[in-house]
Parts: sequence; structure tokens; C-alpha cells
Amino acid sequence: MERNPEKFWNPYLAGVALGLVLAATYLVMGTGLGASGGSLRMGVAALSAVAPDHVAATPALARAAASEHAGWLVYELAGVVLGGLVAAYTSGRLKAEVLKGPRISTAGRLALALAGGVLMGAAAKLTRGCASGQALTGGALLSVGSWVFFLSFFAGGYGLAWFVRREWR
Amino acid sequence: MTFPIFPAHELGLVFAVLSGFGFGFVLERSGFGRAQKLVGQFYGYDLSVFKVMFTAVVTAMLVVAVLSGVGLTDFKVIADHATSETLLVPFAVGGVLVGMGFVMSGYCPGTSWVAMASGKLDGLFTVAGSIVGGLVWAELEGRPGFSKLHDATNLGNFYLWELLHLPARSGPIVLAAAVIAMAIGSFFLAEKVERLLAPRADPLAVATPGGRPRRFVFAGMIAAGVAGLAALALPTGTAAGARRGEVISPAELAQRVFGAPWTVRVVDLRPMAACAAKRVPGSECVPEADLAKLRLADASPSRDLVLLGEGDLAATPPAAVAFPGRLLSLSGGWKAWEAYALAPAEPPAPGASAAEVEAYRVQSGIRSALTGMKAAPPPPPPTAAPGGGPKKGGGGCSG
Repeated sequence: MERNPEKFWNPYLAGVALGLVLAATYLVMGTGLGASGGSLRMGVAALSAVAPDHVAATPALARAAASEHAGWLVYELAGVVLGGLVAAYTSGRLKAEVLKGPRISTAGRLALALAGGVLMGAAAKLTRGCASGQALTGGALLSVGSWVFFLSFFAGGYGLAWFVRREWR
Repeated sequence: MTFPIFPAHELGLVFAVLSGFGFGFVLERSGFGRAQKLVGQFYGYDLSVFKVMFTAVVTAMLVVAVLSGVGLTDFKVIADHATSETLLVPFAVGGVLVGMGFVMSGYCPGTSWVAMASGKLDGLFTVAGSIVGGLVWAELEGRPGFSKLHDATNLGNFYLWELLHLPARSGPIVLAAAVIAMAIGSFFLAEKVERLLAPRADPLAVATPGGRPRRFVFAGMIAAGVAGLAALALPTGTAAGARRGEVISPAELAQRVFGAPWTVRVVDLRPMAACAAKRVPGSECVPEADLAKLRLADASPSRDLVLLGEGDLAATPPAAVAFPGRLLSLSGGWKAWEAYALAPAEPPAPGASAAEVEAYRVQSGIRSALTGMKAAPPPPPPTAAPGGGPKKGGGGCSG
């Protein structure tokens, strides 16, 4: 396989491949793919190592710690990391770097990445899933809520894009 | 219904790693481990996010819709299992916030893991941020002001075909056909936008061309959609009417009621007094006039529905015709059940086959379980005459 970091899969064929992975997950597990639920579960695990009583006393944290699906998602995320690593290595894109536009400092970019992550992590609790767990998984199964999420997700992105354009160009 | 498989816990975790691997690999190869490529979506010069996501949605939807058309799975069972409830206000508000977080960080929670795996420090920061954000909200969501927003306008599991008042059987595939048309139309529009904005594109985020494979993908979508619509007319589908009129014998019903009660729902249509006095274990007493109250059209098809009357049912009651799963009627009705399970069993004749002796054992066992009366022990099965030849040596402790 040629290692050309500039070469990406055809977006439609990649979409079909992603759709087949998702469909296989539905047919085997009866659930879809996800990310934010698994991320939260890892955070809860770290927190309960420090303050187990606090986790037990907070309903939302205790729920996340007990959820079988969230536990499954942790293993799925381990697979995501492996798959991402293998794909990046074989395409020549495996490289320690910070991706940013020329007009922003590295510290500024990392601060925005962290802040954006915090915002997404909190909001994905509100929406019971992120782009994978809600838009992809629920969208393909025609859930009304997932399509509402899909539309407002793009609205939020387009709404803020102009204000952070210096981060990228 | 063959799918979902619901494997044992450990096998499920192995599958989790495998499907995650596929997920991560495809995301990376689509360029979704790179922030510029992802945010290109919001500046209009690289709409790969929309193309990949929407193609994936259409593909997965078609697989499930077509398989449920031919009766291998059930769209609504998977949807009820895999999707969350619909909470309109939290999803609308939260969706905007996730979108804003996406354009700030350059990733969504899933792609940030891929970026981290491919060495991007900004991806690592996004992962860390999303974990912290999730913990902060989990801390807050139970507090009075927050819980009002967090749990507002909960509509339960709610689907587009229900919104449009389409039947649960044909609704998903009809909508899938509409979504295919919408997808193909918007893909052409997206490529037009990309061509218009190409001169302003970021050199790090040039739109990946759709090229020739695009045509095959679109043709495949249309073909699958047509196949799904055609499957609605198949007699093998779970379409209403196709599986009406199947019967189950008292012996088979008893095996299932005792052996696998979670696979069967028994509804007794006799008058309430008769049903209240004696009935099949675990059955529901629902006189035929009240059957409509069970709303069987919307009931879960995961358990087979068994109807029984005093004798054979003359016809499937109209209220049960729309039941989406397998519908059976008890052959001979209550009288046959009584004769099978509550009356003393006829002992097998001498020299009966092993199968006959076994059937007698089962029947006697069921009767004694239901009535508390012991049956006479079955005659011993015929044994072969003690065979000749000296006992052979061998075996661990034969000495």
C-alpha cells in the first residue's frame, strides 16, 4: 500500500464502509457506535479511584459507572484507537504534531481544543450522545431526536465558524 | 427474527474492539483524524464530513430496512434498542453547543480519539476536554435548574415514520426511499458548493473527489431502496397476513411455556370467569371483546403471540391481525390443553418406541407440575438381553 499522507478515501466509498460497520454493530449487538459515553465512563473510572463515595452519591456518575453499554463503549474506543493508529501508520499520517492554521499560536490552538472538548463533553450529556452516538446511530434508525440533533449540530458549527476562522487559515 | 444476535458478554467485548477498529480505520482514511479536513465542512470548501456521515447513515439504514423487509430482523426492535429517547429542547440546545465545540476543537468526540491515536496533540487535548466536560455536566445535571433543562420535553422513543403517521411495517423503508432522494440531491449540491469555493480552499483541506465510484454508490443506494420496497410485497416478509393462521399443538405450547417462557406471550380469549378458574400458566385473561385494548399492532414482536379460545379459533380476531410478530393459535383451544396437560396421560403400550415413552414422561411431568398429582411411573424401557462374552479387561480400576 502506498504511503501518501495527502491521499484520502473517496468520501462516498468511505461512507459505505462506515455504514456497513454501523449496520454490523446493529445486527450483532443491537446497539450502535458511540464515543462520548465511553469517554465519560473512563473519566468516571478515574474519579472513582480518587473519590469513590462521591461517585456513588451522584446519580449521573453512578449511572455511568453501572451502565453496561458505556462499558462496552470503552472496548469499542480501544478498537477506535487501534484502528486509527494502524490506518495512520499505513497512510504515513502518524506524526506527533499540532494541527492549526498559520495565524494562531500552538498554545492558543491547544486552549481552544481543550475548551471545545469541554463544551462538547458537557453538551453530549445533554443530547445523550455525540455525532457518533446520536447523529449516526440514531439518524440511520430514523429517530426524530437524532435528526433534530443533526440539524442543530450543523447550525451551531456554521454559526460559530466565522468567529474562529483565524484558528484555521 | 435472526438479528440482533446479542452475543454473550465477553464475545460482545471482542466484537466491540473489532467494530471500533473498523470505525477508527475508516474515520482515519476519510481524513477525519485531521482537524482542517473536518472543519472544512463549516467553511464550505471541503464537505467530506457531510458526505461520509450521510452516506453512512443511508447505508446502515438500508441494510436494516431491507433485512427487516425479508423478515431477518425488525427495524423497530433494533431502533428501540439502539437509539435514545427523543428530548426536543435538550437536543436542539445541546446540538448547537456540540456544533460550536466541533468548530472550536476541530473534532467531534469520536474523531478526537482517532486524531489522538495518529499523534495529534490537539486531538489529545480535545479528548481530555470532553472527558472533563462530561464529568462537569454529570455533576450538574441533577441540580434543580439544570435538571429542568436536562429532562425537558421527553417524547420517549419517537421515530420519523410515527411523526408522519406511517405504519411501523412499511414506514421505515418508505422513509428510507425519501432519504435516498434527499441524500443524492444534497450530494450534488455539496459538490457544486465545493467547486465554487475551491479557489479559497485551505491547501491542507482540499475536497476529496467523488469521482467515478460516486455513480456506483448512488446506483447501489437506489437499487437497495427499490429492493426494500419490493420486499414489502414478499410473502416471506413479516407483513400482516403473511403469517396468520399458524397453529401450535398443546404439546409444543407446553414445552415453550415451561422451557422458554420468555419466547411466548399467551392470551386467553375465553370469558373472564372461565379463564380466571383455570388457564395456561403465565397466560393473560383478555376476553375477545377487550383484545383491542392490548394495542397488538404496536406490541413488541420479540415474543410470539399465542391466542386460545374454548375450542379452535374460527378466525384470527381483527384486533390481532396487525400484530407485527409471529401469531399462533392453540390447536383445539382450551379443551385440547385440558386434555393434554390436566388429564392423566395414557401410558405407552409395551414395546413403544423411545420417542413415545419420552412424550409420555413429558406429559406426565407437566400434569404433575400443574395438578400436584403424581403419575404412575412409566414402564422401564426395554433393555437388551445381557450379552455374552467374557467381561473385557481394562478401565482404570478394574484390577
